[in-house]
Amino acid sequence: MAIKDTLLYVGKAVTFGLIMAAVFLFVTPLLTDNSSSNLFFQKRGDNGFELSFSKAVRRAAPAVVNIYSLSVNRNQPLNSGSLQGLGSGVIMSKEGYILTNYHVVKKADEIVVALQDGRKFTSEVVGSDPVTDLAVLKVEGDTLPIVPINLGVPAQVGDVVLAIGNPYNLGQTITQGIISATGRNGLSSGYLDFLQTDAAINAGNSGGALIDTSGQLIGINTAAFQIGGEGGGHGINFAIPIKLAHSIMGKLIKDGRVIRGALGITGEPVGPVIAQILNLPDLTGVVITGVDPHGPAAQAQLQARDVITKYEGEAVPGVEMLMDRIAESTPNKQVTMTIIRKGKVYDVPVTIGENVVEETD
Amino acid sequence: MKTKLSLLSAALLTASLTLTPAISQAAIPMAVDGESIPSLAPMLERTTPAVVAVAVEGTHVSKQKLPDAFRYFFGPNAPQEQVQERPFRGLGSGVIIDAKKGYIVTNNHVIDGADEILIGLHDGREVEAKLIGADAESDIALLQIKAKNLVAVKRADSDELKVGDFAVAIGNPFGLGQTVTSGIVSAMGRSGLGIEMLENFIQTDAAINSGNSGGALVNLNGDLIGINTAIVAPGGGNVGIGFAIPANMVNNLVDQIIEHGEVRRGVLGVSGRDLTSELAQAFGLDTQHGGFVDQVMEDSAAEDAGIKAGDIIVSVNGRKIKSFQELRAKVATMGAGAKVKFGLIRDGDSKTVSATLGEASQTTEASAGAVHPMLAGAALENGDDGVEITDIAQNSPAAASGLRKGDIIVGVNRSSIDNLNSLKAKLKEQQGTVALKIQRGHSSLFLVLR
Repeated sequence: MAIKDTLLYVGKAVTFGLIMAAVFLFVTPLLTDNSSSNLFFQKRGDNGFELSFSKAVRRAAPAVVNIYSLSVNRNQPLNSGSLQGLGSGVIMSKEGYILTNYHVVKKADEIVVALQDGRKFTSEVVGSDPVTDLAVLKVEGDTLPIVPINLGVPAQVGDVVLAIGNPYNLGQTITQGIISATGRNGLSSGYLDFLQTDAAINAGNSGGALIDTSGQLIGINTAAFQIGGEGGGHGINFAIPIKLAHSIMGKLIKDGRVIRGALGITGEPVGPVIAQILNLPDLTGVVITGVDPHGPAAQAQLQARDVITKYEGEAVPGVEMLMDRIAESTPNKQVTMTIIRKGKVYDVPVTIGENVVEETD
Repeated sequence: MKTKLSLLSAALLTASLTLTPAISQAAIPMAVDGESIPSLAPMLERTTPAVVAVAVEGTHVSKQKLPDAFRYFFGPNAPQEQVQERPFRGLGSGVIIDAKKGYIVTNNHVIDGADEILIGLHDGREVEAKLIGADAESDIALLQIKAKNLVAVKRADSDELKVGDFAVAIGNPFGLGQTVTSGIVSAMGRSGLGIEMLENFIQTDAAINSGNSGGALVNLNGDLIGINTAIVAPGGGNVGIGFAIPANMVNNLVDQIIEHGEVRRGVLGVSGRDLTSELAQAFGLDTQHGGFVDQVMEDSAAEDAGIKAGDIIVSVNGRKIKSFQELRAKVATMGAGAKVKFGLIRDGDSKTVSATLGEASQTTEASAGAVHPMLAGAALENGDDGVEITDIAQNSPAAASGLRKGDIIVGVNRSSIDNLNSLKAKLKEQQGTVALKIQRGHSSLFLVLR
């Protein structure tokens, strides 16, 4: 009896277990399939899941073009142009707008854009912005490959990225790395906000794409950290975030240039010492250290030692925010700034001027 | 109570049954602290013993000959010719591809000119290696060692690789000791770089440096996908642009070296160029990649196969090719006698032809230098009685040796030769000075190669 009981007990458990296992086995493949549709996992052959970026590459790489800028020899104008610059670019829209670096196409008499499918176009510069080192080109072609863009999620440190370009004119090259840092600025001007990556970037990669593992564009590769005359190889490279590049592109297509507002002041953040001297309630705001006598700030009677605390009613936490706001304001627009002068608060109307940037060599 | 217990045991059973498939599903081991963090360590544990360090010793011999004018001036007291011997040592890497027979693949430039080749195994053993054969034009050499308990690498089908696949380089950079670097496949079918005579490289951003040459490029399964060979290095070191000879090309070359002791270069008998967008447009083609055939040689494998001038060769054995250079590299390394299927586009229609590759009876001017350095600049062709010099470049080493166009090489030192292969074999045996027996018109003479 005891044996029968035990057998029955074990039998029940085993049967139940087998049924559960069967159900589980049936369900698991569905579950693992879902969990493995991770960005760069993909089914390849019979080996199951394999890590590869080939899917991302297939999505983005056709839209990354080689750019050759030619200059005509003034002494021998009949000779065909000589190669003056080499770089890469990214086709952004089916109208044929291409984002690249300004330094790739500056001083070019003729620009040749070569697609990966072998097509070649001569191209015109739609607009360029030396400040952000961006330029927009346009080509006329049917069924142009377009890169998918990621404007929503900002890149984060540690994200895996791929750089696509044409280093040393070897032909299209994909290199891989991670985002090493974000918000790198102070490299060439205050307006930039670089992504830093360790994906290999060399001469000829400039203007090419930085993509995420799903193949979406997150930046335009721009510069490699250099020591002496040697380029590249240090794993410290910079890209312009796509959000900034995309907004600049819109402005370049609309106006052919980026129109930035200017105030005509120099300033610095409010430090504890200055706060004490000027008798300020806290450390927010920007203290004016110099005023351009012909600039809009001088017209509005702003002076050195005035502290700008609000811009159009919005609190000014630091220099970067104020620079951004002024640059984004349309010239001739009247804005209201709140300042503290000698302990008293004033609202001052200011007419924004235009910041004209000389093209640099 | 019983129900609870049975449920518990059922759950245990379920768990034990389901754990197995969950683990075996992943291609590489995952899960560290419940987080899925992939690591290459388990793969490398299996793979790294197959990669060896190659140390070579040899002497570069350079001779300075006294000009004849001085010899005349000084008469019999003229100083003897100056021989400079510069000993050299070199370091590289190699890959064990056959554990039983002890075959090791490396780059030709690693072992070129070596008198002694020493292999440093992963477990610390040092074994002397014998050179089985080498091919300078593709930069592959095959060595053999006698040792037990070797570990060989499995070879992957490198034609299956895609840009974006992970790649891991294993080698011995700067003689530091075995080093593993990781990256991805940056490009496929790279040619026209001028690094080797025959190029069809895999490009990778895995760090490759001096000493990595001859080492392994493997995939995430640890299977060999290429032999690391060269880098673009504007500053001397790695900038994320490295080149590897694909495993399939290595396989073809190694098979030939094992069978014949040398590479018997296959010849299709076409000349041509890359398909450009202009050509594609002119011929009304959709495709932009391939080799455009300018000319088909008479009595060649291509003619037998029915390939015609104006055809565009788009695939080799079903694998698409990008350029004429890639076609050339593939054909030349497949070996004479190989049956190859070529995909063609003719008059807008696709068709496939098969050809049996001929054997190279004629070396190019540049490749004669690989036969013997002093033959560089001569075009050699199998003649009736020996090897005929069909052309010779002015001011080349071959011309300086006194060779002329139309000469027929009939012997090396005291033994006679009757074709290119026996010439190569005889020259390989000889060290130092070699006397070539030449038939020039009706007279025969000896010329000395130094």
